[in-house]
Amino acid sequence: MAKYENWLSPVAALAPSFPQGLEALPFCAQVNLRGNPGDPEFMSRVKGELGFALPTVPNTVAGRKKCRALWLGPDEWLIVEEGDARFRDAPEGALAAQLEQALEGLHHAVTDVSANRIRLELSGPEVRTVLMKSCELDCHPAVFRPGQVAQTLLAKAQVILEKPAEDRVHLYVRNSFALYVAEWLVDAFRYSGE
Amino acid sequence: MLKIECPWCGPRHETEFRYGGEAHRVRPEKPDSLTDEAWAAFLFMRTNTKGAFAERWCHVNGCRRWFNVLRHTVSHEILAVYAMGEVPPVPGARKEGGQ
Ligand SMILES: [Zn+2]
Repeated sequence: MAKYENWLSPVAALAPSFPQGLEALPFCAQVNLRGNPGDPEFMSRVKGELGFALPTVPNTVAGRKKCRALWLGPDEWLIVEEGDARFRDAPEGALAAQLEQALEGLHHAVTDVSANRIRLELSGPEVRTVLMKSCELDCHPAVFRPGQVAQTLLAKAQVILEKPAEDRVHLYVRNSFALYVAEWLVDAFRYSGE
Repeated sequence: MLKIECPWCGPRHETEFRYGGEAHRVRPEKPDSLTDEAWAAFLFMRTNTKGAFAERWCHVNGCRRWFNVLRHTVSHEILAVYAMGEVPPVPGARKEGGQ
């Protein structure tokens, strides 16, 4: 069975009528990882498992195109894996299980949060306008730059904003807020650029 | 509205934070041995400072970390941001552990 085949997104019914620039991203592996970045053993074991080092600079993202670590706090990261070659053949839940195994005996916490948040992609020239209408984060390109991540409120809902490139943002939102946020964004796109 | 400098995330809007009340209050080691008045003083009484006031804030909608802020209660000017457990960096403010 393909991964996430039986999962249903709360925005599935609305997604076909999304405007240009708004897209629902497929389900992927998401793992919340906590540990001490000052412990070289913790950092090296995570690096051994993921193939890259966890970011320690606040609000930055590290990794490869399809497997990344998002900085969430000084001892907390979100590992996102969406079909990375290293993990492609692994079954659902495997990333969390492998990290747990790699970190055995060390002070850490691994939690599989793949079903906690859905992801939306905002792209195109209206992204900044839409974000500025929706949240109080400073979205100026000189402040919120490609390769960065920010946790903030969007229309009063807690979200994670990941910026892989200029004019492109991945938005992570909890399932229970997802439809509300998606509807808000559909509306925000409708009135932008007029 | 305040713009608060999270020690980790940088300047963010006040709505991302939650207020945690007066900083540097030390919980009595043996509450059982206190008089009702002394215990009530710890629980309920705050300094209500006019001027530089040390208080706790948590970046609940961001990195979820606690830190201290020295804020002027009249002008709302934020005079300093510093880590939990640190002494307020501006003279005249309440000292760590002061009771
Ligand atoms: Zn923060």
